[in-house]
Amino acid sequence: MKKLKITSLLLVATMLGATACSSSDGNKETEATTTIAAVIETQPTEEEVDLPYEYGLGKTFHANEPVKYTMYFSDASWYPMVDTWESEGVFKKIEEATGVDLEIIAYDSGDYMNNVTLDINAGDAAYIIPKIYDESAFVDGGAIVPISQYVQYMPNYVEFYNTYEMQKDLLTITRSDGNYYRLPGMWEAPMPDYSLAFRKDIFDAAGIDITALEKDWTWDDLCDILVQVKAYMVSEGMCSESDYIWSDLWCGNESGQGNGGNLLKIMGNSYDVNAGWAIGDGMRYSQENDNFYFSPTTDNYKEFLKVANRFVAEGILDPETFTQDDATATSKFFNGQTVIMSINKGQYASYVTNLDENLGAGNYELYYAVAPQGSVNYSAAGAGRLECGVMISQNALDDLGEDGFIEMLRFVDWLWYSPEAYTLIKWGVEGETFQYNADGSKSLLPGFCCGGLGYGATSDDDVDIRLQWGYAGGNFWYGHTLAEGSDAFIPPVADFVSRVGEYRDTAPLAPGLAPSEDQNEEINLIATPLIDNVNTWTLSFVTGKADIDAQWDEYVASCNGLNAEGLADIYAEVYGK
Amino acid sequence: MSMNTKPMKVKENLGYRVFTVCNTIIMVLIVIATLFPFLYLVSQSFSSDKAIMAGEVGLIPKGFNIDTYLYVLKGEFLKYYGNTIIYTLVGTVSSLLFSAMLAYPMSKNELKFNKFLTPFVIFTMYFGGSLISNYILVISLHLKDTIGAFILPMMISTYYVILMKSFFQGLSKELEEAGEIDGLSKFGVFWRIALPLSKPIMATMTLFYAVMYWNNWYQAFLYLRKDHWPVAYFLQTIIRGAGANDADAQTVSANIKSCAMVLTVLPIICVYPFIQKYYVQGMMLGGVKE
Amino acid sequence: MSSNRRGLAMGPTQNKQTFGKHMGKYWQLYAMLIIPIIYYVVFRYIPMFGNIIAFRKYRAGGNIFGDEFVGFKYFKQFIGDKTFWRAFANTLTLNISYLIVRFPLTLIFALLINEIRNVHWKKFVQTVSYLPHFISIVIMCGMIKELVSTSGPINNLIAQFGGEKISFISEAKWFSTIFITSGVWQSLGWGTILYLAAMSNINPSLYEAAAVDGAGHFKRVWHITIPSILPTITTLLILDIGGLVGSGGAFEKVYLLYNPMTYETADIISTYVFRMGIGGGNFSYATAVGLFEGIINLTLLSIANIASKKLTDSSLW
Repeated sequence: MKKLKITSLLLVATMLGATACSSSDGNKETEATTTIAAVIETQPTEEEVDLPYEYGLGKTFHANEPVKYTMYFSDASWYPMVDTWESEGVFKKIEEATGVDLEIIAYDSGDYMNNVTLDINAGDAAYIIPKIYDESAFVDGGAIVPISQYVQYMPNYVEFYNTYEMQKDLLTITRSDGNYYRLPGMWEAPMPDYSLAFRKDIFDAAGIDITALEKDWTWDDLCDILVQVKAYMVSEGMCSESDYIWSDLWCGNESGQGNGGNLLKIMGNSYDVNAGWAIGDGMRYSQENDNFYFSPTTDNYKEFLKVANRFVAEGILDPETFTQDDATATSKFFNGQTVIMSINKGQYASYVTNLDENLGAGNYELYYAVAPQGSVNYSAAGAGRLECGVMISQNALDDLGEDGFIEMLRFVDWLWYSPEAYTLIKWGVEGETFQYNADGSKSLLPGFCCGGLGYGATSDDDVDIRLQWGYAGGNFWYGHTLAEGSDAFIPPVADFVSRVGEYRDTAPLAPGLAPSEDQNEEINLIATPLIDNVNTWTLSFVTGKADIDAQWDEYVASCNGLNAEGLADIYAEVYGK
Repeated sequence: MSMNTKPMKVKENLGYRVFTVCNTIIMVLIVIATLFPFLYLVSQSFSSDKAIMAGEVGLIPKGFNIDTYLYVLKGEFLKYYGNTIIYTLVGTVSSLLFSAMLAYPMSKNELKFNKFLTPFVIFTMYFGGSLISNYILVISLHLKDTIGAFILPMMISTYYVILMKSFFQGLSKELEEAGEIDGLSKFGVFWRIALPLSKPIMATMTLFYAVMYWNNWYQAFLYLRKDHWPVAYFLQTIIRGAGANDADAQTVSANIKSCAMVLTVLPIICVYPFIQKYYVQGMMLGGVKE
Repeated sequence: MSSNRRGLAMGPTQNKQTFGKHMGKYWQLYAMLIIPIIYYVVFRYIPMFGNIIAFRKYRAGGNIFGDEFVGFKYFKQFIGDKTFWRAFANTLTLNISYLIVRFPLTLIFALLINEIRNVHWKKFVQTVSYLPHFISIVIMCGMIKELVSTSGPINNLIAQFGGEKISFISEAKWFSTIFITSGVWQSLGWGTILYLAAMSNINPSLYEAAAVDGAGHFKRVWHITIPSILPTITTLLILDIGGLVGSGGAFEKVYLLYNPMTYETADIISTYVFRMGIGGGNFSYATAVGLFEGIINLTLLSIANIASKKLTDSSLW
């Protein structure tokens, strides 16, 4: 067989060494701290004068000589890429602005990661690889550029990184070699999303004002409230004593992943424990002790289980929640059988549509509330500020040479990290598709709509700017400041986001850990059966099949039997504490 | 077909008559069960999207319209359909040619090389390369995103070669020898005598290979960019898109999906009954060597 | 693999011919073989060398034959991997239960078709029953999802009888039912071809003689038809058993029908290899599992083939 480019690790190392920061003395530890510094200083290229392109903070990147870069594109079949994107839409506008001809390699979104993985593994990757959630499978072989060594050439990235102090966040994706391999989407602050939706009209009728309570209510308060509401509903004949008024989605077999899903995640987060979707391997960081510990056997976890169980025991929360499929939960809520249900930002509009259809507009009031507190006042958004991001293929460095490579990075920098490109990619062109309002906000011009921005079509002639031109698609649009991120929010959602910011604190970010290949393997070997056990017990406790007080010790013993302590030891070893 | 063999007289007792009635009922039920999914699909494709989402469509279309077909036939669908037709034509012709070129010599027992050749070919039925090495092969041959990437990896099916070989072995030796006496070369015998005598197997193979190419999506998933997709992979993406539970997903309409599916199976439904007598014969000859 | 032993003996003996003479006579046949042989070498044999990465660590961007030798590390890993054994068990369970359901049904269907007297009706039934065989897996799985969806006809029927709607596609316990039912739907008619062929070869005089002896209709089926097609039944059964661990044919169907909620019962070896390889980028691990599966398959099929030869004097090769 014809041999492909067999990239010599040595060669890569040499090339990287030449461009790494000046203070690098070959020691990996130092390298890690220099490339992921608290403040990065932008670094010009050696011959900054005669660059064949323009770039800079607040400037549009523009290549004076035509350049062509290959880029993957995750193509969603519900807004498939069509020729007009290239001929007059988003790709055309990018080319007009920057002089860069992007050769798009589109893969269907359902197969995107599979196709990209194959290409990278076969040494045939495109230069720019967006929409990457987990880069760990690619970093060892030298197919992906350790991008942390180059970010100093990217002014917009550096600006955002320094302004919002992203160092700690970036350390969470730093590998054991001291580099990170993905340019992540970066948020100014964690963006609140999942929370609870209430039928405010019924709560009001029962004499409860959620809006006043949500600021500092606890889960126990919420349970008391729901008991009161149920009593009211029974007295009004709206339901019977045996009915549950809460049947939740994202918790069942289908979407709950067998760990209690979204609801237990939100509850657990407010008790400072890993639970539900966020169970992971159970390990959590304690700021107080500056170490990692196994959270599912802590007192906090017991407390969390007790309160979760109380909702079931009081006849409020349907225990079927943890096995049913989502459609069961939503249909009950939309029919008015239940009065509270989980929600996220993307679903708000669809909840309204469905309630309108079933109950009739004006016959109900929906409220997107801030989730209650537990033992701590953390926002349910968690601590992470990173999103999926862009990897850069080693092929780009090999083919373009160092100077051309840095030019490309500066284009990438503009496209993903500049406010200008963000607006273009999301809203299109001012005056063509959208306008700035007097208050500085943006809105689509009449005659346009966009499913992705929450603008429904008002007439059949409306042009969807996403379907027609590819704006507001998921490939470019992530991260940025809260103001930018929320520039398309409808008022109830924007209001929810700001209330969360006001009422809740952000959880402390766990420091980044970089276990070695072997340590990782060990962690996985212990964690898989251990977490299966935790999930089984947790759901039994919550649904009342097991007694929390009587069987707690038995549960803790079973976790220790599965080497929960060994897991903590490995973490201590990795963290160095 | 020689299956209706025994119109002999049998005593039609009561039990047998009851059985005949039952048998007819069973057959009718099987026919219905077989056709139901297709009819349901056709019914959906003529129904309005709203009626489908509400689950109101049965075997009779609700909100009857042909707009969906007009819409589908205007869009990208035709491009993928055209790709599929090209792939199927080119693929089937090359598959037939090269399979026959392999199967015919293999059927000649006097060919010494066959002692090595037969196991060489059959071994590949049970053992193959890993996914990544096949992928790297296609890339290093610069086939990616070409028709070659779609056709070549499956061009010669060993199983079909065995079927053809069995058929060739059953051909009359006398005719071939007569051809050689008349001055035909070995290749001439193959081309002038063996192939014309092999219409049943060639018709069968045409159908099998054509169906294989027509239905294939996996090679397209691996190797082809969007412009070059065959319709089968396009269908796969919209079927999946229709189930997508993305927060901002406007799913692909169910009626569009049904339309595309109907249009894709249509050619096969139209063709296969007419080759039936050939492939039944082909299966009998090659399926199990007796 | 001694396929041609019988054939060779029958053919003209040319062992004493010299190589030159042999080539002189048959060069055109050999010439025909050139392209197909090149094809097999390039597209079938060369990729086999890639299996070496089961023993060498493969990294994205590294050597295409793996970076360093790791011995049986990946084999040891999957032997200790519960998910692998789950996939192994699922492969066996799905294949065996499918075989148990499909095999007798096909045979019964063939016997029933054989009893149809009206030639046109018989032809019609056969034609219709072959149809699903030609439908692509993509479309079949698309139709399955339609039919069993919560707003599909099956759930509507359930709802009409007052039952609770079932999300078939996302419940692990329903996967094998869906898999088997759709498999039977697709292969029932096609599977009868060989039986019907065997039945048409039965000498009618056997039936006439039995009728003279006073054997009723069902007795004749039992005493003549079934024994006559027994070799066919045995052969097909043996070959099916030989393919029990193989998941090649089922890959596409499972891949298109399963989802994380149904992995528990649906994940088979080939889908697991696919997920570990392409999905997880663990190509060495995936190749090791694939190699293991290939070896088991080859062994089982060889045994089945030998058994078939011994018992019925017919074989696949």
